[in-house]
Amino acid sequence: MYVTYYMSNGSQATTEVFENLKLELRRGCLTLAVLTQLRTERYGYTLRKALADDGLEIDEGTLYPLLRRLESQGLLVSQWREEDKRNKRFYRLSPVGEQILEQLLGEWQRINTSLSKILQEA
Amino acid sequence: MSTSSSRNPLELVDRYLQAVRFWLPKTGRQEDLLAELGEDLRSQIEDKESELGHALGKDEISEILKRCGAPMLVASRLGPRRHLIGPGLYPIYEFVLKMVLLWILVPVFIFIVGPATLASTNGDWGKTALVTLGNLWSGAFVAAGIITLVFAILERTHAIADINCKWDPSSLPPLQKPERKTSFVQTICELAFNVFGLVWLLLVPNHPFLIMGPAAAFLKLGTIWHTFYVPVVLLTVAVIVRLAVTLARSQWTAFPLWSQLLQTAVSLILVHYMIQAAGYTVHGDWHPFVTIADGLSRSEQYVRFTKIAAIVNVALLISLVCTWVGLCIGGAVQVWELLKHIRKQGTVSQQPASVQLR
Repeated sequence: MYVTYYMSNGSQATTEVFENLKLELRRGCLTLAVLTQLRTERYGYTLRKALADDGLEIDEGTLYPLLRRLESQGLLVSQWREEDKRNKRFYRLSPVGEQILEQLLGEWQRINTSLSKILQEA
Repeated sequence: MSTSSSRNPLELVDRYLQAVRFWLPKTGRQEDLLAELGEDLRSQIEDKESELGHALGKDEISEILKRCGAPMLVASRLGPRRHLIGPGLYPIYEFVLKMVLLWILVPVFIFIVGPATLASTNGDWGKTALVTLGNLWSGAFVAAGIITLVFAILERTHAIADINCKWDPSSLPPLQKPERKTSFVQTICELAFNVFGLVWLLLVPNHPFLIMGPAAAFLKLGTIWHTFYVPVVLLTVAVIVRLAVTLARSQWTAFPLWSQLLQTAVSLILVHYMIQAAGYTVHGDWHPFVTIADGLSRSEQYVRFTKIAAIVNVALLISLVCTWVGLCIGGAVQVWELLKHIRKQGTVSQQPASVQLR
């Protein structure tokens, strides 16, 4: 009914609703993906590339604030280092980050199982 | 500048970062963020160069920068999330703003500042309207500014941060009673009363005892009624028509609200002019509403009749002023009811079809 209503108000509204929901859905997943990727040390660009290669594209404006937030929460540690004659900021998971990631992955598995069950029932 | 860019296309990246720097808040993290963004862009360029096997030109670098986004947008995404009033305080801010502007400032200007201005401009309505609206605009502007400033300070200082911890479910307001519709019986009673009132009004000129009782022997209606009798009768007829339409078209939910408001506005204007007219008849004896009946000027009781006429006139003037105040309050309440109705209708029409169908 909602979809019908919004469609009657134009497909632009439908697209907007979808984009907002997609953004909400992606937000938590991105954090999990970034933390998982940073089990091995990477700098911003290689992290972005690795995520994109796995089908999870993320722009600069989203990734760098996320990295800073995770670092300020103590989940990541970073270090400026020279590589190929250029200064790069390398990130990796902190010990606290590793613990939190394990808990988050457990939660993710639980949600995934529940969702699969719900989808099968539907 | 474009010549140097074509000689060194990478200079575009520096110009881009300079533009982003302009929009980024000047914090300790600014250089850090820019260095990281610059590194990302250079890595992208490097990757593209190794993929194509040649150094990128200005257009290809422009393409990468375009994909990254306009400097102002990139800065807004990279920088800390900033807002003057956050989502936690915003509903309270909106509520206070509405209360102050709509329910304090506007009534104050209509009922206090407006009449005061009217008195100072010697009854010039046009000038009064202009001056009052001008003052209302600047007053609203200043009030909104001050409220915004106060809430911005509250936001900054996290003064109401613990609001979530302090609230108590038992302090929640009681459930609102469902909106009361004007009952059929009430409308019928109002209609009957107004029809009776109209008949009474039509009989009064020929039978003054209907309004003055035994005092009709020595009092008669004053000159003011010659001017206002017909408008009062017309208003009563209009009220009867309004009530009849309300009865006949009960599905018109907005009609009773706005027609009653219109009735109040017309009554307000009428009462206002009656009070004003009563004030103008100051020459000689002040007998605007009732005066001594003809042929009693030589009566022994003339002085006593004059005193009674004066008391009745003052009493009528006071009751008219009270009516004016009552109409103002009634009008404000009716405006509120009408706005509530409009908002409710708006909410209903905005609800999804699924909800409306229920």
